[in-house]
Amino acid sequence: MIGSKISKRYAKALLSIGREDGNYEEYGKNLREFADFCTSSPEFYRVISSRIYSGEERGGVLDWALEKSGFAPVVKNFLRLLLEKNRIGAIAEIADYYEKLTDEIANIARAEIITARPIKEDTLGRVKQALTGLTSQDVKVQIREDASLIGGIIVKIGDLVLDGSVRAQLEGLKESLKRGEYT
Amino acid sequence: MIHLGRTTKKRALLLGCALFCVLATYGLAIAGGHGGGHDDARTVDLIYRFINFAFLVIILVVVLKKTNAFGFLAKRREEIRQEMEDLKRRKEAAERRYKELEQKFKEFEVQRAQILEQYKAEGLAEKEKIIAEAKERARQILAQADRTIEREILEAGARLKRQVVEAAAERAREIISAKLDDNDQDNLIKDFIERVEKLH
Repeated sequence: MIGSKISKRYAKALLSIGREDGNYEEYGKNLREFADFCTSSPEFYRVISSRIYSGEERGGVLDWALEKSGFAPVVKNFLRLLLEKNRIGAIAEIADYYEKLTDEIANIARAEIITARPIKEDTLGRVKQALTGLTSQDVKVQIREDASLIGGIIVKIGDLVLDGSVRAQLEGLKESLKRGEYT
Repeated sequence: MIHLGRTTKKRALLLGCALFCVLATYGLAIAGGHGGGHDDARTVDLIYRFINFAFLVIILVVVLKKTNAFGFLAKRREEIRQEMEDLKRRKEAAERRYKELEQKFKEFEVQRAQILEQYKAEGLAEKEKIIAEAKERARQILAQADRTIEREILEAGARLKRQVVEAAAERAREIISAKLDDNDQDNLIKDFIERVEKLH
């Protein structure tokens, strides 16, 4: 909880700078890119986040990676600050919260769509349109497949969950039968 | 048993000696009488015997006086009388004690009978109480058993129903999984979209 609060503070600070210079979207992309890089390179992430190594060693590794990146100088300095304050381990959390803040600014809602089978492009477009109408926000979707749904989809937008799966319908039918609603 | 003192023993001994002398004199007289005529001899013999008897009586009286046999006998009589009175008192006391004990025994018998009656009554009451409690307990056990049976039946029914529903749902899932194709998926998503649009 404390770590989460601190992550939010760092994300808000970077967003504040980004809104002042008008580059907050670029900063968000840089943060996301760096967070994804850390996820895909666990050895790199382990080196820069572990206190087993000295600050100079970790700083050297981070600088080496940043030199090869095309990140904005503000983002580079921000990441060096995180390393210095031993908060680089929370980079994924900071990037997530930064995206959430930028989405609010851009009136964007992020939706996770879980589907039993691949969705056709036109069907996905209709789903996005329906969700945009529901949230009155521009909806960005992330799709994940889960065969246990049997059929249909589940949509998660923030705390809202819309379950249109066959699995949910079967569960509902089962509970109704157990309650004796069909006897 | 009569116990004789030392003085009494001496007197008895003296009395015995005197008797011995009298008997000896009497014997000599009899022996001397065998030498005369037949009738005279019998008369003389009678006289001698009389005299002899008189001496005997005198000697006996003297001896008895000397030895204070009368006093001894009187004292002995007095002792026996006192002993008799004592025995009589003891007998009376024993009889009183016997009557007291007999009375107590009767009272004890009465009390015993009362206690027995009381114990019988209490035992009977206790028996009735135990029987009543046992009946009540049996009734409770039976009622509890009935409730348990009813509950078990309901639970078994519910369990069976759940199993049937689970089996039916699992079978439905298998059938739907096997038969559901892309068109069905599109239709499901279409339904989903319609429901979402109704929420607008």
